[in-house]
Amino acid sequence: MTAAAAADPSLGSMPDATAAFFGELAERGHEPLLEHTKGTLKVELADGRRVDRWLVEVDNGDVAVSRKNVRADCTVRANKELFDGIAVGKVNATAAVLRGALTFDGDVELLVRLQRLFPAPRTRRSRSTEGRRNA
Amino acid sequence: MSDGLVSILDGNTFVVSDSRGDIEASATDPTGLFAFDTRFLSRWVLTVNGQRLTPLSTDDLQYFETRFFLVPGTGTVYIDSKLSVIRRRAVGNGFREELKILNHDEKAVDLTIRVDAGSDFADLFEVKDALKKKGTYSTRVKDGRLVLAYERETFTRATDISATGRAKVDKNGLTFRVRIRPHGEWSTNLDVVTAAFESGETRGRPTFARPRGRQNMEANLDRWLAEAPTLECDWDALRETYRRSLVDLAALRFSPPILGQRSLPAAGLPWFMTMFGRDSILTSLQALPFTPSLAATTLRALGDWQGTRVDDFRDEDPGRILHELRYGELTAFEERPHSPYYGSADATPLFVVLLDEYERWTGDRRLVRELEHEARAALNWIDEYADLMGNGYISYQRRNEKTGLENQCWKDSWDSISYRNGRLAGFPRATCELQGYAYDAKIRGARLAREIWDDQELSSRLEKQAAELKRRFNREFWIADDEYFALALDKGGKQVDALSSNIGHLLWSGIVDKSKAKSVARHLLGPRLFSGWGVRTLAEGEGRYNPIGYHVGTVWPFDNSFIAWGLRRYGFKEEAAQVAAGILAAAAFFDGRLPEAFGGYDRTLTKYPVQYPTACSPQAWSTGAPLLLLRTMLGLEPVGDLLVVDPLLPIGIGHVALLDVPGRWGRIDAFGRGRISVGEKKGLRQAVEAAGA
Repeated sequence: MTAAAAADPSLGSMPDATAAFFGELAERGHEPLLEHTKGTLKVELADGRRVDRWLVEVDNGDVAVSRKNVRADCTVRANKELFDGIAVGKVNATAAVLRGALTFDGDVELLVRLQRLFPAPRTRRSRSTEGRRNA
Repeated sequence: MSDGLVSILDGNTFVVSDSRGDIEASATDPTGLFAFDTRFLSRWVLTVNGQRLTPLSTDDLQYFETRFFLVPGTGTVYIDSKLSVIRRRAVGNGFREELKILNHDEKAVDLTIRVDAGSDFADLFEVKDALKKKGTYSTRVKDGRLVLAYERETFTRATDISATGRAKVDKNGLTFRVRIRPHGEWSTNLDVVTAAFESGETRGRPTFARPRGRQNMEANLDRWLAEAPTLECDWDALRETYRRSLVDLAALRFSPPILGQRSLPAAGLPWFMTMFGRDSILTSLQALPFTPSLAATTLRALGDWQGTRVDDFRDEDPGRILHELRYGELTAFEERPHSPYYGSADATPLFVVLLDEYERWTGDRRLVRELEHEARAALNWIDEYADLMGNGYISYQRRNEKTGLENQCWKDSWDSISYRNGRLAGFPRATCELQGYAYDAKIRGARLAREIWDDQELSSRLEKQAAELKRRFNREFWIADDEYFALALDKGGKQVDALSSNIGHLLWSGIVDKSKAKSVARHLLGPRLFSGWGVRTLAEGEGRYNPIGYHVGTVWPFDNSFIAWGLRRYGFKEEAAQVAAGILAAAAFFDGRLPEAFGGYDRTLTKYPVQYPTACSPQAWSTGAPLLLLRTMLGLEPVGDLLVVDPLLPIGIGHVALLDVPGRWGRIDAFGRGRISVGEKKGLRQAVEAAGA
């Protein structure tokens, strides 16, 4: 997706969907949907024998993404493949939590806020676009 | 509940059993222990020496606790009346059942006490629709505990059953062999604990928290009641209704793990113990003068889950407020769209309405600032996503045609939106009350923009839009010949012309031209809509009218509470009092617990309100109705930092005092005395009917 994710060595070298998602988030720097959110969220993704780790630090809308392995307010765990699906809108994160494919520890509110940022499923744009008035 | 079923609940955990305390669920009936929209026990049967028991009485001690008094044997002849069996059951995360057996004989007695247990782990949707399961079941006996489990890929649900007494545990239940001495007793505690999505650390190895302590829950309920205003009045039934409402509201609060620690009102038992946008908002509005904290948590939780994407499966749009969140298996595997589902056309404008009303009562500007982004997105949704026909009105048509909701307004049954001749309107449908809510949201949004967000540009834009909407609405929805507003506009912009209770909501929203309000009030209190107990959902004489049709003739207490508020808003104080008197009188027939709906039969015909056959009870917005009616009768209205009290009470009600009403003024007492005659002698009703004839 963006070149930033692949180019920045601190954000991992694999140009995969998860890296692209966090790369874009890092690039944005500020996210209005997280305006009143403060806290740290760690994402641990099992990838074969490896664990792919991402830390998202949110300070009232300012977002920093790193690979730091520190204690976070909320830790989210899943396998890498599933999260790749979430990162491109193929998998719904909330449903994944309900079926135990995505688990969490700590402050669930951070996860609820983060799920707002996951992309929409790539379905045909039906009436929703038609119905949109010329604003 | 109906059919002699007994239910107790706490948050989204509830138990429905027969009057013996037993559960023997078939695939499609709603008995069992439920949590997270899943049935964790479908079988729970007590026998003593192989005999089933007979109930003597059942005590509802608290909403979360029941006691069953039983004797062994069935039928009219007691096999052994020298024994009493008491089951005391309290809900927590699962339930705890204290089982006690008293021997009244002079001789010792040897007993085999058996509890059969089993679970089908049905999703609530499956219980409603009788679907087949795709996962596998397992049963384990370990360390004196019986663990029932269901697994489908990573989805696991488990029920852990144990006893404090010495039990022989097998895969189908627990057996106790005991000897009770003469005039002695034996007891044990049975703990049933539910385990759903566990946190990362415990994944695959469900751990079991203990059921919440009874004392804890009692203290919590006492605090809840103490914080609400005190009602003093001459009418005992009203006092009872008020207390019942507060207790049921406490029972309907819930805070499931996926929402964080907040508690907000769920919609109703048994099917709707979950977060609903519309129900949670309207209940919070009703309860605002009594328990304002509900509104704050509702706003925060709904704000957190506000839509951000265009997702056809979930009917999600950016800015849209959710309709319903579910936790069961079908939702987890995306076979149902409730994760969450957004197909509601009214929750989004109502979100803004609640935010403004909340600030007017509490003065909590901080929350209005905190939710500025969400409120703006909601206002934006009205213009950008809700106007499906491009005519400036909110309308709805589901994009998920398989499992989405057809009717996205509160009257959500298939036959609710019809023309006079009974023909159903096509889609999209722009029902009238949606336009009222949109108008109100814009007016209120304008105030918030002006006074709190400091955005004059947005404020005047919203005001201009609202004025334009009102002007067009009063022209295009108004049925001039009969002087009321159409139920909806159809796809071609044609009026869906049935006379319905929806016109009452228009008064509440303030979208009705002053010159038209009198006709609207006359229809609401006229013989076609007003049954004597309340306003019918659909007027007598309409093609689809049916006094026991869910949304086509029954009387809904919640609907009436907002209609009364609307009448009051336009100065029809006596009419508002009449609606309030009818609904509160009906409440007395239900021991203070108003059902979701009751029959639209004329009051003079049935003398008592006929409960709708499968109505949910308790249901949040029915529980909230007496509260809003009290507010309406007392004429409570925040004006700046003051609370204005302008009572107009029906005569029969006598003296009413509501003490310690919380708000931005601190705490204030409100007093009123009944002084208008309603429905008696040559009362108001006849006068209104005469005027309408």
